[in-house]
Amino acid sequence: MKRTALLILLTITAISKVSAQGHGPLYGLQTPTLAKGGFDFNAAAMSLATEDDQSFMLRYIWSYGVTEDLQINITTPTMVNRLSEAPRTRGNNNMPANGDIEASVWYRFFSNAFGVGKRFESTAILSVSTPTEETRGGINLSNSIHGAISTGYASRTWYAWVGGGYQYYFEKDNDQLGDLPYASLVVGYRPNIFMGDYPKPDWRVFLESLAEFPGASMNEGQISPVDQRGKKVMIGPSFLGLYGAWGISFGALFPVYQNVVQDPQERYRLSMNISYWL
Amino acid sequence: MKKLGIIVVLSIFSFSTAMAQLVKVDQEVFGMDCAPCAYGLERGLKKMDGLQSVKVSLNDGKAYLKLAADNDLSLQKIQKEVKNNGFSARSAEVTLNGELVNDGNKWSVSVNGETFKVSLDTPDDILTKLKPGKVQLIGRVKDEEDDGLSNTWNIRITEVL
Repeated sequence: MKRTALLILLTITAISKVSAQGHGPLYGLQTPTLAKGGFDFNAAAMSLATEDDQSFMLRYIWSYGVTEDLQINITTPTMVNRLSEAPRTRGNNNMPANGDIEASVWYRFFSNAFGVGKRFESTAILSVSTPTEETRGGINLSNSIHGAISTGYASRTWYAWVGGGYQYYFEKDNDQLGDLPYASLVVGYRPNIFMGDYPKPDWRVFLESLAEFPGASMNEGQISPVDQRGKKVMIGPSFLGLYGAWGISFGALFPVYQNVVQDPQERYRLSMNISYWL
Repeated sequence: MKKLGIIVVLSIFSFSTAMAQLVKVDQEVFGMDCAPCAYGLERGLKKMDGLQSVKVSLNDGKAYLKLAADNDLSLQKIQKEVKNNGFSARSAEVTLNGELVNDGNKWSVSVNGETFKVSLDTPDDILTKLKPGKVQLIGRVKDEEDDGLSNTWNIRITEVL
Protein backbone atom coordinates (compact mmCIF):
# COMPACT_ATOMS: atom_id res chain seq x y z
CA MET A 1 0.00 0.00 0.00
CA LYS A 2 2.82 2.36 0.96
CA ARG A 3 4.61 1.40 -2.24
CA THR A 4 1.52 2.09 -4.34
CA ALA A 5 1.00 5.46 -2.69
CA LEU A 6 4.63 6.35 -3.37
CA LEU A 7 4.23 5.31 -6.98
CA ILE A 8 1.13 7.47 -7.43
CA LEU A 9 2.79 10.41 -5.68
CA LEU A 10 5.89 10.19 -7.84
CA THR A 11 3.77 9.93 -10.98
CA ILE A 12 1.73 12.99 -10.08
CA THR A 13 4.92 14.88 -9.32
CA ALA A 14 6.37 13.90 -12.63
CA ILE A 15 3.22 14.87 -14.47
CA SER A 16 3.03 18.26 -12.84
CA LYS A 17 6.53 19.07 -13.99
CA VAL A 18 6.04 18.36 -17.63
CA SER A 19 4.33 16.33 -20.28
CA ALA A 20 5.09 13.61 -22.92
CA GLN A 21 4.84 11.54 -26.09
CA GLY A 22 2.70 8.47 -26.58
CA HIS A 23 1.06 8.63 -29.90
CA GLY A 24 0.92 4.93 -30.59
CA PRO A 25 1.01 1.66 -28.72
CA LEU A 26 2.35 1.27 -25.22
CA TYR A 27 4.48 -1.85 -25.60
CA GLY A 28 4.97 -2.52 -29.29
CA LEU A 29 7.09 -0.79 -31.86
CA GLN A 30 5.53 2.14 -33.70
CA THR A 31 6.42 4.56 -36.48
CA PRO A 32 5.27 8.15 -35.81
CA THR A 33 7.93 10.79 -35.35
CA LEU A 34 7.60 14.32 -34.06
CA ALA A 35 7.14 17.42 -36.16
CA LYS A 36 10.26 19.35 -37.11
CA GLY A 37 11.22 21.34 -34.03
CA GLY A 38 8.57 19.50 -31.98
CA PHE A 39 9.30 18.57 -28.40
CA ASP A 40 7.50 16.24 -26.12
CA PHE A 41 7.75 14.68 -22.73
CA ASN A 42 6.44 11.39 -21.39
CA ALA A 43 6.18 10.21 -17.83
CA ALA A 44 5.39 6.57 -17.35
CA ALA A 45 4.69 4.32 -14.39
CA MET A 46 5.61 0.73 -15.11
CA SER A 47 5.45 -2.54 -13.28
CA LEU A 48 6.56 -6.04 -14.14
CA ALA A 49 5.46 -8.99 -12.06
CA THR A 50 7.20 -12.34 -11.97
CA GLU A 51 6.32 -15.47 -10.06
CA ASP A 52 8.55 -14.20 -7.21
CA ASP A 53 8.45 -10.43 -7.11
CA GLN A 54 7.17 -7.23 -8.71
CA SER A 55 9.10 -4.22 -9.98
CA PHE A 56 7.89 -0.63 -9.90
CA MET A 57 9.47 2.09 -11.94
CA LEU A 58 8.86 5.59 -13.16
CA ARG A 59 10.36 6.48 -16.48
CA TYR A 60 10.67 9.73 -18.37
CA ILE A 61 11.39 10.30 -22.01
CA TRP A 62 12.24 13.57 -23.66
CA SER A 63 11.94 13.68 -27.44
CA TYR A 64 12.84 16.26 -30.04
CA GLY A 65 12.07 16.34 -33.74
CA VAL A 66 15.21 17.33 -35.63
CA THR A 67 13.23 17.05 -38.84
CA GLU A 68 9.77 15.65 -39.46
CA ASP A 69 11.44 12.28 -40.09
CA LEU A 70 14.26 12.30 -37.55
CA GLN A 71 13.67 12.25 -33.82
CA ILE A 72 16.08 12.00 -30.91
CA ASN A 73 15.07 10.71 -27.48
CA ILE A 74 16.54 10.18 -24.08
CA THR A 75 14.84 8.17 -21.39
CA THR A 76 15.76 7.84 -17.75
CA PRO A 77 14.31 5.63 -15.02
CA THR A 78 13.47 6.14 -11.39
CA MET A 79 13.49 2.66 -9.90
CA VAL A 80 11.09 2.24 -6.99
CA ASN A 81 11.55 -1.49 -6.61
CA ARG A 82 13.99 -3.57 -8.65
CA LEU A 83 13.64 -7.28 -9.25
CA SER A 84 16.48 -9.32 -7.82
CA GLU A 85 15.84 -11.91 -10.54
CA ALA A 86 14.79 -9.90 -13.55
CA PRO A 87 13.48 -11.54 -16.70
CA ARG A 88 15.38 -10.75 -19.89
CA THR A 89 13.16 -8.25 -21.64
CA ARG A 90 12.96 -4.66 -22.72
CA GLY A 91 9.48 -4.69 -21.26
CA ASN A 92 8.27 -1.77 -23.27
CA ASN A 93 10.00 -1.30 -26.61
CA ASN A 94 9.86 2.47 -26.65
CA MET A 95 10.80 2.93 -23.02
CA PRO A 96 12.64 -0.04 -21.50
CA ALA A 97 11.16 -1.52 -18.34
CA ASN A 98 14.61 -2.27 -16.98
CA GLY A 99 16.90 0.23 -15.25
CA ASP A 100 18.75 1.45 -18.32
CA ILE A 101 19.25 5.06 -19.35
CA GLU A 102 18.76 5.03 -23.09
CA ALA A 103 19.41 7.51 -25.89
CA SER A 104 17.88 6.76 -29.25
CA VAL A 105 17.43 8.05 -32.75
CA TRP A 106 14.26 7.34 -34.71
CA TYR A 107 14.42 7.75 -38.45
CA ARG A 108 11.21 7.53 -40.44
CA PHE A 109 12.72 6.43 -43.73
CA PHE A 110 9.46 5.86 -45.57
CA SER A 111 6.19 7.72 -45.43
CA ASN A 112 3.28 7.71 -47.81
CA ALA A 113 0.31 9.81 -46.79
CA PHE A 114 -2.21 8.70 -49.37
CA GLY A 115 -5.53 9.86 -47.98
CA VAL A 116 -7.33 11.90 -45.37
CA GLY A 117 -5.92 10.58 -42.09
CA LYS A 118 -4.25 7.66 -43.86
CA ARG A 119 -0.59 6.82 -44.19
CA PHE A 120 1.89 4.00 -44.48
CA GLU A 121 5.26 4.57 -42.87
CA SER A 122 8.38 2.79 -41.70
CA THR A 123 10.79 3.81 -38.98
CA ALA A 124 14.19 2.57 -37.88
CA ILE A 125 15.41 2.92 -34.32
CA LEU A 126 18.97 2.88 -33.07
CA SER A 127 19.73 3.27 -29.40
CA VAL A 128 22.51 3.02 -26.88
CA SER A 129 21.94 2.46 -23.21
CA THR A 130 23.80 2.32 -19.96
CA PRO A 131 22.52 0.56 -16.85
CA THR A 132 21.81 2.23 -13.52
CA GLU A 133 22.54 -0.92 -11.54
CA GLU A 134 25.72 -2.96 -11.19
CA THR A 135 24.14 -6.34 -11.74
CA ARG A 136 20.91 -7.72 -13.12
CA GLY A 137 19.90 -11.21 -12.14
CA GLY A 138 23.40 -11.76 -10.74
CA ILE A 139 25.11 -10.80 -14.01
CA ASN A 140 27.50 -7.83 -14.14
CA LEU A 141 25.93 -5.23 -16.38
CA SER A 142 27.49 -3.21 -19.17
CA ASN A 143 26.28 -0.84 -21.86
CA SER A 144 24.15 -2.11 -24.68
CA ILE A 145 23.05 -1.25 -28.19
CA HIS A 146 19.62 -1.75 -29.62
CA GLY A 147 18.25 -1.57 -33.12
CA ALA A 148 14.70 -2.01 -34.35
CA ILE A 149 12.60 -1.46 -37.39
CA SER A 150 8.86 -1.11 -37.67
CA THR A 151 6.36 -0.46 -40.37
CA GLY A 152 2.71 0.32 -40.14
CA TYR A 153 -0.54 1.83 -41.26
CA ALA A 154 -2.44 4.63 -39.58
CA SER A 155 -5.88 5.96 -40.35
CA ARG A 156 -8.73 7.60 -38.50
CA THR A 157 -10.20 4.19 -37.72
CA TRP A 158 -7.58 1.45 -37.92
CA TYR A 159 -3.94 1.16 -36.98
CA ALA A 160 -1.46 -1.67 -37.43
CA TRP A 161 2.25 -1.90 -36.79
CA VAL A 162 4.64 -4.79 -37.14
CA GLY A 163 8.27 -4.66 -36.16
CA GLY A 164 11.29 -6.41 -34.81
CA GLY A 165 14.38 -5.50 -32.85
CA TYR A 166 17.57 -6.73 -31.30
CA GLN A 167 19.43 -5.71 -28.16
CA TYR A 168 23.01 -6.63 -27.42
CA TYR A 169 24.73 -6.13 -24.08
CA PHE A 170 28.50 -5.91 -24.00
CA GLU A 171 30.66 -8.07 -21.78
CA LYS A 172 31.76 -6.80 -18.39
CA ASP A 173 34.07 -8.57 -15.93
CA ASN A 174 33.54 -11.93 -17.64
CA ASP A 175 29.77 -11.51 -17.46
CA GLN A 176 27.40 -10.72 -20.28
CA LEU A 177 23.65 -10.53 -20.45
CA GLY A 178 22.20 -12.60 -23.24
CA ASP A 179 21.09 -10.87 -26.40
CA LEU A 180 17.43 -10.18 -27.03
CA PRO A 181 15.77 -10.53 -30.42
CA TYR A 182 12.09 -9.63 -30.33
CA ALA A 183 9.12 -8.92 -32.54
CA SER A 184 5.96 -6.93 -32.00
CA LEU A 185 2.56 -6.75 -33.62
CA VAL A 186 -0.05 -4.14 -32.76
CA VAL A 187 -3.55 -3.55 -34.06
CA GLY A 188 -5.48 -0.45 -33.08
CA TYR A 189 -9.07 0.69 -33.50
CA ARG A 190 -10.87 3.96 -32.87
CA PRO A 191 -14.59 3.36 -32.22
CA ASN A 192 -17.15 5.52 -34.01
CA ILE A 193 -18.13 7.33 -30.83
CA PHE A 194 -14.61 8.80 -30.71
CA MET A 195 -14.63 10.02 -34.28
CA GLY A 196 -15.52 13.52 -33.16
CA ASP A 197 -13.41 16.17 -34.81
CA TYR A 198 -10.47 18.01 -33.25
CA PRO A 199 -10.38 19.42 -30.57
CA LYS A 200 -12.74 16.79 -29.13
CA PRO A 201 -11.11 13.97 -27.10
CA ASP A 202 -9.77 11.14 -29.18
CA TRP A 203 -9.62 7.57 -27.81
CA ARG A 204 -8.42 4.35 -29.34
CA VAL A 205 -7.80 0.81 -28.20
CA PHE A 206 -4.87 -1.42 -29.13
CA LEU A 207 -4.31 -5.14 -28.99
CA GLU A 208 -0.59 -5.51 -28.47
CA SER A 209 1.64 -8.53 -28.69
CA LEU A 210 5.32 -9.11 -28.12
CA ALA A 211 7.46 -12.15 -28.84
CA GLU A 212 10.83 -12.24 -27.11
CA PHE A 213 13.69 -14.70 -27.50
CA PRO A 214 16.31 -13.94 -24.82
CA GLY A 215 19.68 -15.56 -25.27
CA ALA A 216 21.60 -17.25 -22.48
CA SER A 217 23.71 -14.99 -20.28
CA MET A 218 27.39 -15.53 -19.58
CA ASN A 219 28.43 -15.71 -15.92
CA GLU A 220 32.13 -15.63 -14.96
CA GLY A 221 33.10 -16.53 -18.50
CA GLN A 222 30.77 -19.49 -18.65
CA ILE A 223 27.66 -19.65 -20.77
CA SER A 224 24.76 -21.02 -18.77
CA PRO A 225 24.71 -24.81 -18.81
CA VAL A 226 21.29 -24.48 -20.32
CA ASP A 227 22.49 -22.81 -23.49
CA GLN A 228 19.03 -22.35 -24.89
CA ARG A 229 17.25 -19.29 -26.16
CA GLY A 230 14.12 -18.49 -24.19
CA LYS A 231 10.77 -17.95 -25.86
CA LYS A 232 7.98 -15.76 -24.62
CA VAL A 233 4.80 -14.38 -26.15
CA MET A 234 2.85 -11.65 -24.37
CA ILE A 235 -0.51 -10.25 -25.42
CA GLY A 236 -2.73 -7.60 -23.93
CA PRO A 237 -4.85 -4.50 -24.43
CA SER A 238 -3.88 -0.88 -24.14
CA PHE A 239 -5.89 2.31 -24.36
CA LEU A 240 -4.81 5.70 -25.61
CA GLY A 241 -6.69 8.92 -24.96
CA LEU A 242 -5.67 12.20 -26.58
CA TYR A 243 -6.89 15.69 -25.96
CA GLY A 244 -5.10 18.65 -27.48
CA ALA A 245 -1.48 18.47 -26.42
CA TRP A 246 -2.13 15.77 -23.82
CA GLY A 247 -2.21 12.04 -24.04
CA ILE A 248 -2.73 9.24 -21.57
CA SER A 249 -2.27 5.56 -22.23
CA PHE A 250 -2.46 2.51 -20.04
CA GLY A 251 -2.46 -1.20 -20.58
CA ALA A 252 -1.24 -4.61 -19.62
CA LEU A 253 0.47 -7.59 -21.18
CA PHE A 254 0.00 -11.18 -20.11
CA PRO A 255 2.01 -14.22 -21.12
CA VAL A 256 0.31 -16.69 -23.41
CA TYR A 257 3.44 -18.77 -23.91
CA GLN A 258 6.66 -18.96 -21.87
CA ASN A 259 9.64 -21.21 -22.17
CA VAL A 260 12.32 -19.44 -20.19
CA VAL A 261 14.44 -21.99 -18.39
CA GLN A 262 17.00 -19.45 -17.18
CA ASP A 263 14.76 -16.52 -16.22
CA PRO A 264 11.83 -16.28 -13.84
CA GLN A 265 8.37 -16.69 -15.31
CA GLU A 266 6.48 -13.46 -15.90
CA ARG A 267 2.93 -12.95 -14.68
CA TYR A 268 2.06 -9.57 -16.18
CA ARG A 269 3.33 -6.15 -17.19
CA LEU A 270 1.46 -2.95 -16.38
CA SER A 271 2.13 0.46 -17.76
CA MET A 272 0.62 3.92 -17.68
CA ASN A 273 1.97 6.83 -19.66
CA ILE A 274 1.23 10.54 -19.68
CA SER A 275 2.30 12.53 -22.71
CA TYR A 276 2.54 16.21 -23.43
CA TRP A 277 3.50 17.76 -26.74
CA LEU A 278 5.24 21.05 -26.17
CA MET B 1 -8.31 69.51 -49.07
CA LYS B 2 -4.70 68.51 -48.44
CA LYS B 3 -5.88 66.05 -45.76
CA LEU B 4 -8.38 64.57 -48.17
CA GLY B 5 -5.61 64.14 -50.74
CA ILE B 6 -3.46 62.26 -48.24
CA ILE B 7 -6.38 60.00 -47.35
CA VAL B 8 -7.05 59.25 -51.01
CA VAL B 9 -3.36 58.47 -51.66
CA LEU B 10 -3.15 56.23 -48.58
CA SER B 11 -6.38 54.49 -49.55
CA ILE B 12 -5.09 53.78 -53.03
CA PHE B 13 -1.79 52.55 -51.61
CA SER B 14 -3.42 50.26 -49.04
CA PHE B 15 -5.88 48.99 -51.66
CA SER B 16 -3.10 48.09 -54.07
CA THR B 17 -1.15 46.36 -51.27
CA ALA B 18 -4.23 44.43 -50.21
CA MET B 19 -4.84 43.33 -53.77
CA ALA B 20 -1.76 41.14 -54.03
CA GLN B 21 -2.26 38.63 -51.27
CA LEU B 22 -3.88 35.42 -50.22
CA VAL B 23 -7.20 35.97 -48.49
CA LYS B 24 -8.29 32.46 -47.54
CA VAL B 25 -6.74 29.01 -47.88
CA ASP B 26 -8.45 25.67 -47.32
CA GLN B 27 -5.43 23.37 -47.40
CA GLU B 28 -5.96 19.64 -47.83
CA VAL B 29 -3.72 17.61 -45.51
CA PHE B 30 -3.13 13.88 -45.94
CA GLY B 31 -1.84 11.55 -43.22
CA MET B 32 -3.14 13.45 -40.19
CA ASP B 33 -4.89 10.91 -37.97
CA CYS B 34 -4.97 12.07 -34.35
CA ALA B 35 -5.66 14.95 -31.99
CA PRO B 36 -1.98 15.78 -31.26
CA CYS B 37 -1.36 15.78 -35.03
CA ALA B 38 -4.05 18.42 -35.45
CA TYR B 39 -2.85 20.28 -32.38
CA GLY B 40 0.74 20.35 -33.65
CA LEU B 41 -0.28 21.51 -37.11
CA GLU B 42 -2.60 24.18 -35.74
CA ARG B 43 0.11 25.44 -33.43
CA GLY B 44 2.70 25.43 -36.21
CA LEU B 45 0.44 27.36 -38.55
CA LYS B 46 -0.47 29.87 -35.84
CA LYS B 47 3.20 30.73 -35.46
CA MET B 48 3.20 32.22 -38.94
CA ASP B 49 2.71 35.95 -39.23
CA GLY B 50 -0.23 37.19 -41.23
CA LEU B 51 -2.98 34.87 -40.09
CA GLN B 52 -6.37 35.96 -38.82
CA SER B 53 -7.58 32.48 -37.84
CA VAL B 54 -6.72 28.80 -38.21
CA LYS B 55 -8.95 25.77 -37.80
CA VAL B 56 -7.80 22.20 -38.34
CA SER B 57 -10.25 19.40 -39.03
CA LEU B 58 -9.16 15.79 -38.66
CA ASN B 59 -12.29 14.41 -40.27
CA ASP B 60 -12.08 16.73 -43.28
CA GLY B 61 -8.29 16.40 -43.43
CA LYS B 62 -8.02 20.12 -43.90
CA ALA B 63 -6.54 23.26 -42.41
CA TYR B 64 -8.78 26.28 -42.82
CA LEU B 65 -6.83 29.52 -42.81
CA LYS B 66 -8.18 33.06 -42.94
CA LEU B 67 -5.42 35.51 -43.62
CA ALA B 68 -5.08 38.95 -42.14
CA ALA B 69 -5.20 42.11 -44.18
CA ASP B 70 -1.80 43.12 -45.57
CA ASN B 71 -0.28 39.69 -45.02
CA ASP B 72 2.71 38.46 -46.97
CA LEU B 73 2.11 34.75 -46.51
CA SER B 74 2.67 32.43 -49.40
CA LEU B 75 1.08 29.09 -50.20
CA GLN B 76 4.56 27.62 -50.30
CA LYS B 77 5.16 28.66 -46.70
CA ILE B 78 1.84 27.16 -45.61
CA GLN B 79 2.52 23.85 -47.37
CA LYS B 80 6.06 23.76 -45.98
CA GLU B 81 4.64 24.01 -42.47
CA VAL B 82 2.32 21.09 -43.21
CA LYS B 83 5.31 19.05 -44.40
CA ASN B 84 7.35 20.01 -41.32
CA ASN B 85 4.62 18.45 -39.21
CA GLY B 86 5.09 15.15 -41.01
CA PHE B 87 2.04 15.30 -43.27
CA SER B 88 1.46 15.73 -46.95
CA ALA B 89 0.02 19.00 -48.26
CA ARG B 90 -2.24 18.28 -51.22
CA SER B 91 -4.52 20.54 -53.23
CA ALA B 92 -5.82 23.77 -51.75
CA GLU B 93 -8.78 25.99 -52.35
CA VAL B 94 -7.62 29.59 -52.23
CA THR B 95 -9.19 32.98 -52.38
CA LEU B 96 -6.68 35.54 -53.53
CA ASN B 97 -6.22 39.09 -54.68
CA GLY B 98 -3.64 39.64 -57.38
CA GLU B 99 -2.60 41.04 -60.70
CA LEU B 100 -3.95 39.00 -63.60
CA VAL B 101 -1.69 39.06 -66.64
CA ASN B 102 -1.99 37.50 -70.06
CA ASP B 103 1.14 36.24 -71.77
CA GLY B 104 0.36 34.64 -75.12
CA ASN B 105 -3.08 33.37 -74.13
CA LYS B 106 -1.73 32.04 -70.85
CA TRP B 107 -3.17 33.68 -67.81
CA SER B 108 -1.40 33.98 -64.51
CA VAL B 109 -1.80 35.82 -61.22
CA SER B 110 1.10 37.10 -59.16
CA VAL B 111 0.68 37.14 -55.38
CA ASN B 112 3.40 37.85 -52.85
CA GLY B 113 6.19 36.53 -55.04
CA GLU B 114 4.21 33.50 -56.15
CA THR B 115 2.76 32.88 -59.59
CA PHE B 116 -0.54 31.08 -60.00
CA LYS B 117 -0.84 29.86 -63.59
CA VAL B 118 -4.44 29.54 -64.67
CA SER B 119 -4.94 25.96 -65.81
CA LEU B 120 -6.71 25.10 -69.01
CA ASP B 121 -9.37 23.08 -67.23
CA THR B 122 -10.79 26.32 -65.88
CA PRO B 123 -14.37 26.54 -67.20
CA ASP B 124 -14.59 28.38 -70.53
CA ASP B 125 -17.22 30.80 -69.27
CA ILE B 126 -14.70 31.99 -66.69
CA LEU B 127 -11.73 32.03 -69.07
CA THR B 128 -13.55 34.19 -71.60
CA LYS B 129 -14.36 36.78 -68.98
CA LEU B 130 -10.81 37.21 -67.70
CA LYS B 131 -9.29 40.64 -68.14
CA PRO B 132 -5.79 41.84 -67.30
CA GLY B 133 -5.52 43.82 -64.11
CA LYS B 134 -6.41 43.47 -60.49
CA VAL B 135 -8.64 40.56 -59.66
CA GLN B 136 -10.07 38.64 -56.73
CA LEU B 137 -10.77 35.01 -57.43
CA ILE B 138 -11.38 31.61 -55.93
CA GLY B 139 -9.66 28.57 -57.32
CA ARG B 140 -8.33 25.12 -56.61
CA VAL B 141 -4.54 24.96 -56.55
CA LYS B 142 -3.31 21.63 -57.82
CA ASP B 143 -1.17 19.31 -55.75
CA GLU B 144 2.60 19.59 -56.13
CA GLU B 145 5.26 17.25 -54.77
CA ASP B 146 6.01 18.21 -51.16
CA ASP B 147 9.73 17.83 -51.74
CA GLY B 148 9.77 20.06 -54.79
CA LEU B 149 7.68 23.04 -53.86
CA SER B 150 8.36 26.17 -55.90
CA ASN B 151 6.76 29.56 -56.16
CA THR B 152 4.75 28.54 -59.19
CA TRP B 153 1.36 26.85 -58.96
CA ASN B 154 -1.38 25.72 -61.29
CA ILE B 155 -4.82 26.98 -60.37
CA ARG B 156 -8.23 26.04 -61.70
CA ILE B 157 -10.35 29.14 -61.24
CA THR B 158 -13.84 28.36 -59.99
CA GLU B 159 -15.10 31.89 -59.44
CA VAL B 160 -14.07 35.44 -60.20
CA LEU B 161 -15.38 37.76 -57.52
